[in-house]
Amino acid sequence: MSGSKPDILWSPHHPDLYVICDSELGLYRIGPVGGTETKPGTLSLSKETAATLLAINSDTPYMKCVAWYPKHEPECLLAVGQANGRVVLTSLGQNHNSTCKELVGKEFVPKHARQCNTLAWNPVDSNLLAAGLDKHRADFSVLIWDISSKFAPETSVAAEKIRLSFVDLDSSSVVTKPLYELGQNDACLSLCWLLRDPKLLLAGMHRNLAIFDLRNTSQKMFVNTKAIQGVTVDPHFHDRVASFFEGQVAIWDLRKFEKPVLTLTEQPKPLIKVAWCPTRTGLLATLTRDSNIIRLYDMQHTPTPIGDETEPTIIERSVQPCESQIGSFAWHPSSQNRMVVVSASNRVMTDFTVFERVSLAWSSTTSLTWACGRHLYDCVEDSTGGTEGAAETDIATKMRERAQSRYGHDTVQVWRNHLLAGGTDPQLKSLWFDLFYMKQCAEDQELKLQGNKQSVVYSGIKNIIKTSSGTTESRRCWSGSDRQADVPRFYSEERCLALRLCGWISRGPDINVETFLRSLEHEREWERAAAIALFNLDIRRAIQILNKGAMAENGDLNLNVVAMALSGYTDEKSSLWREMCSSLRLQLKNPYLCVMFAFLTSEAGAYDGVLYESSVAVRDRVAFACMFLGDAQLPRYIDKLTNDMKEAGNLEGILLTGLTKDGVDLMESYVDRTADVQTASFCMLKGSPGEVLKDPRVQCWIENYRNLLDAWRFWHKRAEFDILRGKMDPSSKPLAQVFVSCNFCGKSISYSCSAIPHQGRGFSQYGVSGSPTKSKVTSCPGCRKPLPRCALCLMNMGTPVSGCSGTGKSDEKVDLTRENKLAQFKNWFTWCHNCRHGGHAGHMLSWFRDHTECPVSACTCKCMQLDTTGNLVPADSS
Amino acid sequence: MFVARSIAADHKDLIHDVSYDFHGRRMATCSSDQSVKVWDKSENGEWLCTASWKTHSGSVWRVTWAHPEFGQVLASCSFDRTAAVWEEIVGESNDKQRGLSHWIKRTTLVDSRTSVTDVKFAPKHMGLMLATCSADGVVRIYEAPDVMNLSQWSLQHEISCKLSCSCISWNPSSSRAHPPMLAVGSDDSNTTYGGKVQIYEYNENTRKYSKAETLMTVTDAVHDISFAPNLGRSFHVLAIATKDVRIFKLVPLRKESTTTGPTKFDVQIMAQFDHHNSQVWRVSWNVTSTLLASSGDDGCVRLWKANYMDNWKCAGILKGDGSPLTGLSGQPTAMSTVVGSSLQTSQNALNGTSAGRYFFPPLDPPRAGTRYGHLLPPSSLIEHCDAEPVVQPQQPLPHRSPSRVLLSLPEAEEQ
Repeated sequence: MSGSKPDILWSPHHPDLYVICDSELGLYRIGPVGGTETKPGTLSLSKETAATLLAINSDTPYMKCVAWYPKHEPECLLAVGQANGRVVLTSLGQNHNSTCKELVGKEFVPKHARQCNTLAWNPVDSNLLAAGLDKHRADFSVLIWDISSKFAPETSVAAEKIRLSFVDLDSSSVVTKPLYELGQNDACLSLCWLLRDPKLLLAGMHRNLAIFDLRNTSQKMFVNTKAIQGVTVDPHFHDRVASFFEGQVAIWDLRKFEKPVLTLTEQPKPLIKVAWCPTRTGLLATLTRDSNIIRLYDMQHTPTPIGDETEPTIIERSVQPCESQIGSFAWHPSSQNRMVVVSASNRVMTDFTVFERVSLAWSSTTSLTWACGRHLYDCVEDSTGGTEGAAETDIATKMRERAQSRYGHDTVQVWRNHLLAGGTDPQLKSLWFDLFYMKQCAEDQELKLQGNKQSVVYSGIKNIIKTSSGTTESRRCWSGSDRQADVPRFYSEERCLALRLCGWISRGPDINVETFLRSLEHEREWERAAAIALFNLDIRRAIQILNKGAMAENGDLNLNVVAMALSGYTDEKSSLWREMCSSLRLQLKNPYLCVMFAFLTSEAGAYDGVLYESSVAVRDRVAFACMFLGDAQLPRYIDKLTNDMKEAGNLEGILLTGLTKDGVDLMESYVDRTADVQTASFCMLKGSPGEVLKDPRVQCWIENYRNLLDAWRFWHKRAEFDILRGKMDPSSKPLAQVFVSCNFCGKSISYSCSAIPHQGRGFSQYGVSGSPTKSKVTSCPGCRKPLPRCALCLMNMGTPVSGCSGTGKSDEKVDLTRENKLAQFKNWFTWCHNCRHGGHAGHMLSWFRDHTECPVSACTCKCMQLDTTGNLVPADSS
Repeated sequence: MFVARSIAADHKDLIHDVSYDFHGRRMATCSSDQSVKVWDKSENGEWLCTASWKTHSGSVWRVTWAHPEFGQVLASCSFDRTAAVWEEIVGESNDKQRGLSHWIKRTTLVDSRTSVTDVKFAPKHMGLMLATCSADGVVRIYEAPDVMNLSQWSLQHEISCKLSCSCISWNPSSSRAHPPMLAVGSDDSNTTYGGKVQIYEYNENTRKYSKAETLMTVTDAVHDISFAPNLGRSFHVLAIATKDVRIFKLVPLRKESTTTGPTKFDVQIMAQFDHHNSQVWRVSWNVTSTLLASSGDDGCVRLWKANYMDNWKCAGILKGDGSPLTGLSGQPTAMSTVVGSSLQTSQNALNGTSAGRYFFPPLDPPRAGTRYGHLLPPSSLIEHCDAEPVVQPQQPLPHRSPSRVLLSLPEAEEQ
């Protein structure tokens, strides 16, 4: 340590005190950042902690090394090694009690002046202070001083010398006689007392590591090595020592002192500090010169040596506590993995904790668990929070909630599914209304034509328009106005169907939007209603709607102004009204008001202001296009819109694509974007089984959704989904799972299962409930041999269980309560698939309530414990 | 808002991995204390350790569950150069009485000559398959041909990656359009060359795994890698923990039917975050791959979420030691919550658990004028749709008035 390079020492007993030493000693207290008031002189060490400078001691110039007195009292007593080899005791404490006063200022002077390299207090016998000095050919380099030694007895011998060399010195506090002198004609670069025996001192000498025993100073144990700097004992493993040389750290086991047990990967720059973490086993921190990272070696994984083969694992990490180059660091003596780092240049300090590496995992039910060090933390999303908007809820949570509310299962009032989904997503709303209108139209068409028109309805407006023929063009008057409107309107059967799918009209062939307008008024959608009235060339109705809207409770009075502006409509091309409306309309915030004026001010056939107003719902724009675009323009517009929707994955576009290949493409980009396979699955179930459901992408969504339900243990929901799917796509039904054959003839014992193989009621056929048509159910229908017996009641399978109601009465099924359903389950014949013994379910259950092994003699099968998945309960049962 | 609570793990050394089973009701942890612990969630949501046993003669790096249709099966890998497969046995021991289940070793996979750094079961549609990777750069793929016999595993493939491997991830896609694929990450610390993530794909014709892609832009050591659950998406998403969090999107390019080579991908980087300020240790996806959790050397767990525009944002920060987060700039709510939570923490500390409450910083609302912004009409404009059937006179639907809509919902639960 040179004078300019700072070092840092934690107080051995005060967890909040440390000393920075460079040219002077500075004592700091570390504490939490004081809320609002920031005291002057407080240095921020991290986001949470700050340090206050308590004391500065610049009494001792030429400091080379410092060591903190290891005992509680006197506190803040430091030994300072100087460039001339002297060791001075000094203090930073305020309370100077008698012992302290006595000690402070004491000096220990070697015979020959040379640099003091290192100091080490004996951890047990704290009077002993070892100092390591540079080489002097006539002197020892390791001097062990006794700080309690009185100068008095020495005066006879040494005082004379002292007087000769340091005349002005206060001789009363100078000690010149060390207790022990070791390592003659050698240099000592580092020292540490061994923790396993406080009489042993480990010293890094010039070319070797030496262990001196104070009980027998003539002998030493040593090993030749270059790694002699910074010797330090692992506080958790007293035989383990680290030392370094240049960029390489050597780890020694004092029991096998011949060679290092391992050397760590060499660093390009020389090391300046190596320190064991006091709070964790086997964690060594190293620092190289001119570096801003601290390298950590985690050696706790070293397995106990079994043979020579085992090499220890070391997890190497580097941490970067601060941006600037690090001068030194010190582990906090008690706080877990915490250190304070001081920068090399300007004494900037950083409080830093080395975090354990956290490993983590999500569960399928959106809870997150992580392991930090030896601790586990479980983190569950708290749905009661409610502060987040619905938009922020993760789709996994949304899908779970929607599955719980039977989203997608309303096959009659299809539109209601969007309410089941929460009713907050406009795209879902649009989607389910599209599907609802498609279903309605398809049902009507079926009634009318009995033909195969369904595919047309479900193929989307894009395809419907393509087949359009016989379009008639008409010019209609403005209703309620005598003026001739110069607006051509188009009509065909297909366009009419498209309008229906858009929801504007309910049933053809008349285009009557009045019911729709009234419903919009009811929903207080004034602007939209007015726009639609206007598009139907009923300007008076539009004004009426706007007036109504202005007068309604909390109505927007500005609507009256808009109505006023509307009433001034003139079709003169160069009128002021037209000019002003076309420029001012862009300032209207409501898109529907905006498109109204766009419509009124645009030339016939050039309605881009309406058609490309993206804030207007797709269905309204499409309906508008169907009314006002000619056969040439319409398909082009629809195609363009369809492609936009497909690219964006906007579910409103399902109106255009229908449930076709195009629709699957659109849904694919929706799924890519949102991962909402639930909506995709339910939506595509409505498509035609042949084309859409067979699409591998659709199959994939369905499989993924079922898998999600399984993972959430929503097994009932999964089963319900499968039932729904089976209705739409009969080929998806699985085959019977179990086939029970007679022990004697090998034929199936079920009566009706063979006749109706997919009825899925197989189990009750083996039992006794139902099947009133069968005369004898206790024997095999093939060979008439008796069926197996219940292991407990010894009745043959098929015999009614006594005391059970509801056997053989078919009308019982009508008012089956939950209790009765479960009671009937008792009659089911069941068996263990492992030992293949069985009986009535009720009997078996009551047996296993008290027993673990099978009721059949000499069978040791633990039937009930075999299947652990069966122990899981579905999460969606109530 | 997320609530964290601590579980008394009782491992004697660092925990290296946490793994959930398919249903999220069981959890396995492994540690440097050479043991694996299995945890079961009780009815009231508490985690109970139901098994703990010594698995290896070295640090256990990773533990992973097989799909439950193969039984209760775990695999672990260790510094002791082996991977092991464990199966829970019930009914054959009396441990049940003590609330402990019994796990027995079905096989030890001893092919590696160095530390086995990761082990992962393949997606279930591939059968019972297991991939391991080791520090000497070899990925091994094992298969149990008979799923009833877990003691027989055959080494099917050996892929040499040339770089020390630290982590692997199977592509979970079950789509037939996607051949089996796995990504391997390397913790080689030499940053002068890239390609620390390699992607291998199974080729039906050659019946071999061949390299499909190398992410050359990843030059720093990779600590963890994770494919997102696919959920029927047309592309794959890969999260990488290196010196930052990275999310890659792999879009398979349409392959001509004649070519037999591996699929070509359009590799796009979707997000890159250096918020951890240092090495990122782990990444993990939630079940729908809409939330990513990452942990780093800053001691924090961070959550990431994409909005509709594929903009990934930080959705939450949790301190790794479960303590409340303080002093976060730009989060005025964080400070106020800390007061309440520290109180709560101290109370719960008496009961042996600690809890902290965290608020997530608000996500930026979708900006107007972005790609999807113009396609989403303001919700107020679409509200009308359900009104339409309400007043349709032709429809004999008397119960459709909006006020009763919610009342006439089908009963949510009948089971």
